[in-house]
Amino acid sequence: MRRPTKIIGQLWVLLDSEGQWIDDIDTDMIFHNRYLHITDIDAMGQYALDNLKGWETFAQQAKPGDMIMAGKNFGAGSSRQQAVDCFRALGIGALVAESFGAIYKRNAINSGLPIVVVPELTKMPPGTFNTGDALMIDLVTGELLLNGELTFRGEPFSRVQMDIYQAGNLFEYGRQLEQ
Amino acid sequence: MGYTFAEKILARRAGLAHVAPGQIVTVKPDRLLTHDNTADISRKFRKIGVDRVSDPQMNVIVLDHVVPAADETYATNHKVIREFVVEQGIPAFYDVGEGICHQVLPEKGHAWPGAVIVGSDSHTPTHGAFGAFAAGIGRTEAAAVMATGTIWLRVPESIKIVLTGALPPRVSAKDVILHIIGRLKADGATYCSVEFMGEAIAALSMSGRMTLTNMSAEMGAKNAVVAPDAITRAWLERRVTHPYEEVHADPDAHYARVLEFDVSDLAPQIAKPHTVDNVVPITEVIGVRIDQALLGTCTNGRLEDLRAAAGLLRGKHIAPNVRLLVLPASREVLLAAISEGIVADLVTAGATLLNPGCGPCLGAHQGCMAPAEVTISTANRNFKGRMGSKNAFIYLGSPATVAASALAGVITDPREAA
Repeated sequence: MRRPTKIIGQLWVLLDSEGQWIDDIDTDMIFHNRYLHITDIDAMGQYALDNLKGWETFAQQAKPGDMIMAGKNFGAGSSRQQAVDCFRALGIGALVAESFGAIYKRNAINSGLPIVVVPELTKMPPGTFNTGDALMIDLVTGELLLNGELTFRGEPFSRVQMDIYQAGNLFEYGRQLEQ
Repeated sequence: MGYTFAEKILARRAGLAHVAPGQIVTVKPDRLLTHDNTADISRKFRKIGVDRVSDPQMNVIVLDHVVPAADETYATNHKVIREFVVEQGIPAFYDVGEGICHQVLPEKGHAWPGAVIVGSDSHTPTHGAFGAFAAGIGRTEAAAVMATGTIWLRVPESIKIVLTGALPPRVSAKDVILHIIGRLKADGATYCSVEFMGEAIAALSMSGRMTLTNMSAEMGAKNAVVAPDAITRAWLERRVTHPYEEVHADPDAHYARVLEFDVSDLAPQIAKPHTVDNVVPITEVIGVRIDQALLGTCTNGRLEDLRAAAGLLRGKHIAPNVRLLVLPASREVLLAAISEGIVADLVTAGATLLNPGCGPCLGAHQGCMAPAEVTISTANRNFKGRMGSKNAFIYLGSPATVAASALAGVITDPREAA
């Protein structure tokens, strides 16, 4: 079965109380170190973003298929994979940001969670993106469509990213290479 | 046209004539570093469905994050790791007490010029100080490397940072890297390979070079490197006994950015709460009250760091309202500090000596903070809530700054201390 390469979801736009992008959201804000003893992925979702000011109740409100949008350097800091897994636990459909922490991006790619870089994201006019907006992402071309109206460009999936995504995750991808 | 360090080493290891930034290559790492998270990684490894790690010689496992175990959960994880090590026949296993993974790995000869090292820890770029390509990865990926022995890597763009001049007294590599991070910001080197060069680098010991590459992670670098020279080779003698081939960037390589810093007049630097790039010269924060001072971690727990602190603390006593925690980065560092008399100096001055390990840096044990408390630390991260309470504050500075501040009970310029 092929996984869809055009995905649609409702956005959660990670802005502060004044409507500004929150840059450098680190892995301690996404999944705080006091929960690191948790190894069951299903138990991780409830703590997603609970150390990010103004977003403490995100996990209780997010629905499967929702997408997260953030500014620069989302997922900075530690290599902890729980900061990706907590979103997978909630069924988050995609992560979109102007840039990501390097290890964070790899973790998402290897988990098969769509992660899309939009280089000009924070240069777009304030108010362009709002929580609740509908976003469609074409993972092949990198084209994004907001509320069926505004088109903008992100980076398309690399080949290895698409292969891992289609396989499901890095392990399944590895199995396919073996065969 | 010439090639950068990252382009040359990844091309060589991928068996290609040359590679370009953005290209994805598959390589076999020389070493895979994992720590306490090996418990979870071993569980993921078993899910893959292979019985044996692809090459037991590739694995380096160091217990350092919560050692000795703080509670039953950590103890059980450590036990799982010890059993995994025996089952898989992994020779390079370093148990509780050996030290922090980023110190133990090079001390035991697992880092060398031209090596490719990946590790399930974000400060793995530390090992670029030895001329290796070293990058952090996640747990799933570490399990996959265990199983397959290979990893995909995106060839990074490269940034050249040239450091000129000579450091003033009581100003150290820590101040240099804090200054650079303050200028480049937390995303200034995202996905990039950072090459440090220049006369100020040539003058640095391995210890100082490791501080630079260690903290490059805080500006988003994928890896950071210092070209090997006589200082590198001397440090590696007797530790790395097999031959190795150094990789040096070409003089005419293409860099995405070139930055130059003159360190001659650099003041001690401080990263204020709650981000590492919130950097100011120490003169802007002098007098801030502290409750705790932390000397140690993979950034600044080496002999040179302890020596710098002891130089200020010897024959004196820390302020009555301050806890000074000292964690040598490894058993080797601890033994050297004992034989130099540094440990006696520090403990006499009021320090609490903790075992080699990560200690309170990641907030799991051994010195977490209560609400409204303030720690000045030689560590590499000051994220909100990292060392206990979310309502506590972490300032980052050099070993000399931490020592001078512990003496006074407030943040103090080490250049002014007696």
